[in-house]
Amino acid sequence: MFKKLIEFSFNKPKTIIAATIVLVILAAFQFPRIKVDTDPENMLSEDEFVRVFHHEVKREFAIYDFIVLGIVNEKNSQGVFNVETLNRIYDITEKIKKIDGVITREIIALSTKDNIRQGVVGSVIFEWLMNGPISNPRQATVIRDEALDNPMFNGTIVSENGRAVCVYVPIERKNISYRVSQEIYAIVEQEKGDDRYYITGLPVAEDTFGVEMFKQMAISAPLAGLIIFILMFFFFRNIVLIISPMLLAISTVLITMGLLIGFGFPVHIMSSMIPIFLMPIAVLDSVHILSEFFDKYRLLQDKRKTVFAVMDELFTPMLFTSLTSAVGFFSLSFSPIPPVQTFGVFVASGVMIAWVLTLTLIPAYISLMSEKSFDKFKAADSQSEDHHGIIDNVLSSIRRFSIKRSKLIIALSIIVAVISLYGITRINVNDNPVRWFNKNHQIRVADKILNKHFAGTYTAYLVLAAKDKKAQVFIEPKMLEYVEKLQKLLVEKGNVGKTTALPDVVKKVYYELLGGDRTNNVIPKTKRAIAQCLISYENSHKPDDLWHMTTPDYDKVNIWIQLKSGDNRDTDKVLKQVDEYLKNNKSPFEIEHNWAGLTYINVVWQNKMVLGMLMNFIGSFIIVFFMMTFLFRSPMRGLISMIPLTLTIVFIYSLLGFIGKDYDMPVAVLSALTLGLSIDFAIHFIQRARELYAISGSWEKASKELFKGPARAITRNAFVIAIGFLPLLVAPLIPYRTVGFFMFMIMFISSIVTLFILPAIMTVLPGIVFNKGRGKMLCNCKYCQVIAVAVSVAVVYILRGYTQVSWSAALVVSIAVVAVMGGICSKISDHKFCFTGNEKEEKK
Amino acid sequence: MIKLITKSLFFGIVFCLLLMSPNKIIAAETVEEIIVKANNVAYYEGKDGRSNVKMTITDAQGRNRVREFTILRFDIEDGKEQKYYVYFNKPADVQDMVYMVWKYLDRDDDRWLYLPALDLVRRIAANDNRSSFVGSNFVYEDISGRGLALDNHELISSEGDVFKIKNTPKDSADVEFSYFEVYIQKSNFVPVKAEYYDKQGKLYKIVEAIEVKDINGHPTVTKSKATDLAVGSNTVIDFLNVEYDLGIEDEIFTERYLRRPPRKWLN
Repeated sequence: MFKKLIEFSFNKPKTIIAATIVLVILAAFQFPRIKVDTDPENMLSEDEFVRVFHHEVKREFAIYDFIVLGIVNEKNSQGVFNVETLNRIYDITEKIKKIDGVITREIIALSTKDNIRQGVVGSVIFEWLMNGPISNPRQATVIRDEALDNPMFNGTIVSENGRAVCVYVPIERKNISYRVSQEIYAIVEQEKGDDRYYITGLPVAEDTFGVEMFKQMAISAPLAGLIIFILMFFFFRNIVLIISPMLLAISTVLITMGLLIGFGFPVHIMSSMIPIFLMPIAVLDSVHILSEFFDKYRLLQDKRKTVFAVMDELFTPMLFTSLTSAVGFFSLSFSPIPPVQTFGVFVASGVMIAWVLTLTLIPAYISLMSEKSFDKFKAADSQSEDHHGIIDNVLSSIRRFSIKRSKLIIALSIIVAVISLYGITRINVNDNPVRWFNKNHQIRVADKILNKHFAGTYTAYLVLAAKDKKAQVFIEPKMLEYVEKLQKLLVEKGNVGKTTALPDVVKKVYYELLGGDRTNNVIPKTKRAIAQCLISYENSHKPDDLWHMTTPDYDKVNIWIQLKSGDNRDTDKVLKQVDEYLKNNKSPFEIEHNWAGLTYINVVWQNKMVLGMLMNFIGSFIIVFFMMTFLFRSPMRGLISMIPLTLTIVFIYSLLGFIGKDYDMPVAVLSALTLGLSIDFAIHFIQRARELYAISGSWEKASKELFKGPARAITRNAFVIAIGFLPLLVAPLIPYRTVGFFMFMIMFISSIVTLFILPAIMTVLPGIVFNKGRGKMLCNCKYCQVIAVAVSVAVVYILRGYTQVSWSAALVVSIAVVAVMGGICSKISDHKFCFTGNEKEEKK
Repeated sequence: MIKLITKSLFFGIVFCLLLMSPNKIIAAETVEEIIVKANNVAYYEGKDGRSNVKMTITDAQGRNRVREFTILRFDIEDGKEQKYYVYFNKPADVQDMVYMVWKYLDRDDDRWLYLPALDLVRRIAANDNRSSFVGSNFVYEDISGRGLALDNHELISSEGDVFKIKNTPKDSADVEFSYFEVYIQKSNFVPVKAEYYDKQGKLYKIVEAIEVKDINGHPTVTKSKATDLAVGSNTVIDFLNVEYDLGIEDEIFTERYLRRPPRKWLN
């Protein structure tokens, strides 16, 4: 059937090309409907508890996501607390109030916050911290001292050293953060003086990343394409010919993206990477075809014959390399993260689209080329004799070495694998959207400077809720002392910069009411006293500020936690500290606790993602193993074909552990790509080795041929893609660098591993690789056992992935499966069907 | 000043509405006369007055908080100095709390807060009357009245049965609004509605009389409401048992009585 398809494509090239163009145009028509979604919160589905709870907390405590504007003055001896700077900050705050989408009444700034302080002769005053422009330095000093004296403001609005002030700009929706931040930049740019302005905060980092990501996508994918094009020209010296893989890659990307958009899926951070993932995969097969075509044409001198010969040879490996890549990505659709599912399904579809196009578009394209244009091959051949010579020389040295030193290579591989496994244990799972920018990005810089001056620009909310909703638990002195102790502990442990909660308000109001004596900076002894402090606080200009911290029924408190680092790892530590405190210290009333805030949401989806990706990876690993077993008609060969891929993955991921790069979202997603791509070379290599062995009957002879055409194709592919993606290493966005690094490493390592280790194994175990055993794999008891183990792993995987079964239960089940399968295996291998099968084989 | 519908409860001058025809009023009133009359209706009815107050604060999420207190008022002179004594009954944890004001026209008011649980009397500096009254959408100025001299007044409409007066603060730094407009009923000079515009010129707060009754000849607002349009919260005040001219003693409005509430006036 596929032969007919290829034949049809070659005979009716114009039909194929017209059909492709129609598809591409149809796809292009979908593009105007593009919906963009750059909100990492959507990594979790909308009904995910933490998201629902986060929004409930935001609503219940009237909290908004905010952009943090920091104003720093390092030159003036008074820091920012000089008349000019403060008046500028006042003006800026007034202008920010007018920005569309800003929740004006909830802006946290010097001029929007009410302070309680001592007035003349034994009175207390509620007064705006900064009521308007000021005129003399003494006012500036008073503002500073008052702000520093208020636990609500110190470390939040004002830095301890007086050098910096923050304005927290709450916004209606996170997805306007980038626009609002640009408008704030425009406002502060008009200001003069020594002040420096910095904008940060998770919403702005995330939204800005979305904006820059799309720009990056528009630069990176075409740039990689261009470099791949140049490299192919270097190898094949025929512009007309190498245009075909480029057209194929572009068509694949356009059709896939068109499908994605056409089906109404938003283009998320993940799916924006589809073009860059599809590019190498789409090009891979065509490079194999071109490489073989290029080599074979010189022998056959006829494009028709050459195309069919090449297609015949490559059909099976191409099918399987495409299927394995597709499976690797499709497994992402089982991930608990919606954008990852979409990404997986569409990359998998793209891989298969690329496969179909390879079978149709490439033959059609070659059919349209004049025989004359191939004459250049001869010229090119002589021109490129040098590099051909070099590649061939190197390859033949590799061949000799890996055959002669096969045991050494295998021993070395085992050592490397063991060291790599150690490296993997050192991997840090961590992510931080701010770190998706490079070190010099203004958001990274702002993040660093503001977190140096302040208690932290990252926000998490810890909500404690009383089981008894009627008891007004959180104005009980004991309960507030319990909360206060937790707050103290969190700050002492060092990961938290500052916490703000109800006890802080109560204490502040209490000691101000009692005359400002700090010895009274404690929680009053009775519930009535606390209630009266709070009602006094409600006499301020901003009584509603109280309801950011508790409810009118006092059945909940919301602790605002400021973190200096947005690293999920650091947030994780804080979560553990809280759990520990709650466990070791019995609350005077029964309470439950929950977390909200963007920092926390990131931790949740990251944990899901890492674990999910690991499960997906194991799953696709098993599926790929079954496919290989099927392709090579033997589980042992299946296992051997998995060795290069396993070593590649183990080695690359161990590097993360050794160089201290965090295992973050992009790295997690790349595991699917690594799996799909690094098996490719092994498939080509083993499949061709077996075909060549069948012809010559000798591994020695077969290996010589193997290290010509097929090894050359592998080398060319490795070069084209590894180098094609190198420019990503200097991309301004870190995830793109990660992709570049992985592409390079996958190509580099898996080609080396394939070219060294597979020949070594073939030398050591020719029997297994070249099929000298019993015909049917189930009839070999050992093979059957291998399959049994694989099946049991698959069973455990499915149990763990889709049900709530515990590890120990799953283990019992898997052992049972192995035992049962073992029994079946020995039964089968004794069965006469095996002998008859064998006899039939022999007769042939 | 005028706005304080809310306060209108507190009552003063007996208005001889029967003696004046509406036409005459329209023809004769200048802005100054209108606001003075309205101010008197709103804050100075009777020689003294008292009311039980139920205040219901409803926030943007629909959560209610209720405060109950009794207000006593004593006028030294109509349109000039007066004294307020506010005694809290509920919530239970703030029972016996007292808030007291001595209101002046030529200087900042004196304010005291008595917190029984702390056994503490504190003077509250009154340099800003725009802070919230016990967490409600009313500010202190709404309770005891805004000095007429603080604003410039302009009659912008006398169509229908209300005067509409625009009030622009002389010193805008002290207040969060840029101006406010008050609707005053021509028939009885009760300010029935005040609309506040923020510095961006957007309407953000409305204070209105929901129910006006005649009590012993005093036009009295018995229910009023303040709505914060930006936040979405509101506060409703019910004035119950409004009485005028009870003969409340001046001496009650002193620090001594903060700790010893005058029970006979409080039930």
